[in-house]
Amino acid sequence: MAEESYLTDDFLRQLMNVGEVDILIGLPTHNNAKTVGSIVHTIQSGILRGFPRERAVIINADGGSRDGTPELVTGVSIDDMRPASNLHTLRTLHSISTKYASNARSASGAAFRTILAAAELLRPKACVVMSPESANIQPEWLSMLLGPIYRDGFDLVTPTYRRHKFEGLLITNLLYPMTRALYGLRIREAYSPEFGFSGRLGSQFLGQNVWNDETEGAGVELRFTLAAIAGKYRICQSFLGDKDRIERHAVDLVPALRQTAGALFSALEPDFPVWSIVTGSQPASTTGPDHEVLLEPLRVSRKRLREMFLAGIGELESVFQSILSPSTLAELQSIAHLDEEGFRYPAELWVRTVYEFAASYQKSVISRDHIIQALAPLFRGRMFTFLTENRNASAGEVEKNIEDLCLEFESLKPYLLQLWKSRE
Amino acid sequence: MPLNRDVLWYKDAIVYQVHVRTFHDSNGDGIGDFQGLEGKLDYLEQLGINTIWLMPFFPSPLRDDGYDIADYNAVHPSYGTLEDFRKFLGAAHDRGIRVIIELVSNHTSDQHPWFQESRSSQDNPRRDWYVWSDTDTRYKGARIIFLDTETSNWAWDPISKSFYWHRFFSHQPDLNYDNPAVREQMWNVMKFWLEMGVDAFRLDAIPYLVEREGTNCENLPETHDVLKELRRKLDEHFPGRMLLAEANQWPADLRPYFGDGDEFHMAFHFPLMPRMFMGLKLEDRKPITEILQQTPEIPPSCQWSLFLRNHDELTLEMVTDMERDYMYDMYAGNKTMRLNLGIRRRLAPLLENDRRRIELMNVMLMSLPGTPIIYYGDEIGMGDNINLGDRNGVRTPMQWNGGWNGGFSAAAPERLYAPLIEDPVYGYPAVNVLRQKASEHSLLNWMQSIITVRKSTAVFGRGSIEFLYPANHRILAYVRRLDNEVVLVVNNLSSSAQAVELDLRRYKGNILIEMFGRNIFPRVGDLPYLLTMGPYQFYWFRLRRI
Repeated sequence: MAEESYLTDDFLRQLMNVGEVDILIGLPTHNNAKTVGSIVHTIQSGILRGFPRERAVIINADGGSRDGTPELVTGVSIDDMRPASNLHTLRTLHSISTKYASNARSASGAAFRTILAAAELLRPKACVVMSPESANIQPEWLSMLLGPIYRDGFDLVTPTYRRHKFEGLLITNLLYPMTRALYGLRIREAYSPEFGFSGRLGSQFLGQNVWNDETEGAGVELRFTLAAIAGKYRICQSFLGDKDRIERHAVDLVPALRQTAGALFSALEPDFPVWSIVTGSQPASTTGPDHEVLLEPLRVSRKRLREMFLAGIGELESVFQSILSPSTLAELQSIAHLDEEGFRYPAELWVRTVYEFAASYQKSVISRDHIIQALAPLFRGRMFTFLTENRNASAGEVEKNIEDLCLEFESLKPYLLQLWKSRE
Repeated sequence: MPLNRDVLWYKDAIVYQVHVRTFHDSNGDGIGDFQGLEGKLDYLEQLGINTIWLMPFFPSPLRDDGYDIADYNAVHPSYGTLEDFRKFLGAAHDRGIRVIIELVSNHTSDQHPWFQESRSSQDNPRRDWYVWSDTDTRYKGARIIFLDTETSNWAWDPISKSFYWHRFFSHQPDLNYDNPAVREQMWNVMKFWLEMGVDAFRLDAIPYLVEREGTNCENLPETHDVLKELRRKLDEHFPGRMLLAEANQWPADLRPYFGDGDEFHMAFHFPLMPRMFMGLKLEDRKPITEILQQTPEIPPSCQWSLFLRNHDELTLEMVTDMERDYMYDMYAGNKTMRLNLGIRRRLAPLLENDRRRIELMNVMLMSLPGTPIIYYGDEIGMGDNINLGDRNGVRTPMQWNGGWNGGFSAAAPERLYAPLIEDPVYGYPAVNVLRQKASEHSLLNWMQSIITVRKSTAVFGRGSIEFLYPANHRILAYVRRLDNEVVLVVNNLSSSAQAVELDLRRYKGNILIEMFGRNIFPRVGDLPYLLTMGPYQFYWFRLRRI
């Protein structure tokens, strides 16, 4: 059950008025006024096209926007688009908004928790979380993410996208291969701003102890996916098409690592009974292709990545000594001496690095957040290598390189288990 | 009880729709008749209705249940004589009950002498009483209404070797209202019945009276001219009588039939009815409030006529395709229940015999703006027989008791004009007037009670309406007001218990008095007025500042 303090009286009153629903759309926001209006329109259009008879509600969990975002969400009327789209709704289509606890360290975690709490009370059969920044969102996304749950009995639908080969490197070089190796299921986008889930999965996850640990819900969407795999819920992937180009802007790496590597490392301890007995991996049920790669020329500054790797190796030696094995550290220091042309951060060394970080995270040899921060320069070194190796690669070659990395993660999994046991 | 002399009597009417054939058979021939109907007037008076609407009872080949008239100035011999009708009319008036009869003005039967003359030769004086053509390509813009049976609005007449125009069945040729003689003759028909004392006419299929090339042949200005002329004559010669329009149209298209208060007094609100069923199934007030928001104001002397079910199919012409699909899926899963663009079922089976939903629908019927019409048998929850063809499944004999032929007729069962409902749930042994009269909590007694409460105030028939829009969309709430009389209606459309907060600040200081039990509810203050409601529950509150 949701904690009483998590829902304000006003929000409870709004939920009471909405009542039981079939479909719940969660929309976490924080100062998204530029995009949120058109996104709500698209969501409404998706509901009318895909679920015209179902009782539906849009739940906006807002982080205290000062640009009028909540008002835009609740003010968008389906009637506004009737002349253009000839859409008509049979039912009242609710859009309600609430402010989530702004003192939470992870805004997305607090927002997601609010959405889950609302779902707990409204008892939807199928839910979806949509990003307020998806510039290329299409009405069909609703059906793609909700349909397998509402109509086919799946519990989690993760998206797959058409991405540029150099987009989503954190996913292709860490999250996807490590998740796959540990949990045994090939979920391409285990951490995504858009995903669908069943009411029963949401209810089960709300009761899990992920909200009050030291991550405070950072990367909770990933934890959600992992919980679904660990709980043996029915999972599938839906191909949504182009990944949003807006997100091509530079993402601050450390927060991104907290939400991905940090969340993944945090899950390993409670999920040890699950992942420790998994060998190999299985493909996930997928609607459409499990990914598509774009090859258009893209200018990427690799030089800066290597410089930051070298700076990290030089400045964080004592931190690395606490985290890494002597041999791994020595190898990293060795490649740091290579010139730019000859620099390579091999897959095997990268996998060992990640596993040693994961084990140290569990041991809490130093502050866990410092461990995550220390991973950043190393990841940049790995990025440099990936960009170099795939500079002229075809889509097939890129995918083969990613697949090879995944297999490396799978083959070295015993090493992680060995590290884990030595901890005990 | 003498008739109320108020010229706006129709605003306070509670109408009971009945076909004389279906109600009671006095002579044992298996067909209801006027003497039988007269014998049941006490029942109707006790029920509380004050107006009877009779379906066509004129001589007819009965290929469309009497809507194919062969003689406008007589009574079909199966139902009795003109004298029987006069006696029935007088007896009804003695009880304060007015009588509406049908004027099927758009068309006649092809057996009518007028048509027989018209088709006999191109030179016949009545040739132009109908719409003839050498081709079947004129008026292509007109839709075909009876899609299940007709493929064209033209039919070939082998006698006169030309095509005649018909908007309904091909055995119902349309009269030619461009001909002044036709208009004069139709007025003569009206005069005939008005002089006998008939109180009102329901004019059937009125949007189709006139045809013009390049149009859809509906709602034409020339049609309105015809109707205004009839109304002018009615007011001039028979003040206080009423015209009721049957025009299955969107509200905006219906509005002109009221004119400036110089055309029809009343018109059926066709689009509202399916949306009441839709709102109930969706558990959402939106379909109902939406259509009423789109309903234009009408002149003060005019009135909407509301109904839940009638002798026809539950028409789905005035809904969107998506709404129609929804209604079919929800209310007519069995495709044999579908007819034309509608559903041929009675109220109780439509609502799965759920007493709470039947009551709630009647509550809305009695409290939304307009004059309510109760279809015979629905006051006891009669069922239907979808195995009978066309719309005959909702026109079965009235069920008076659990005895021989349900008390409808002394004839041998096989002689009845239609078989009685006999299934275990809706059959006459289970559902009948006698049984329900004996049960305090029967639907019949409840209907009597709600009619009594409805009639206790003029606000429902004459008052304004203001919708409240509580955040809980399962609650349909509105305030009816007439001068100082204010009534609050709250309906829970949901199958589950609901809490609702109503913004009644403008009525601050008023006490709410529940109109059925006359119990007092808390005074309205500054805070939202909180009500908790059981599944399908409703409240009628009189607001009093005491």
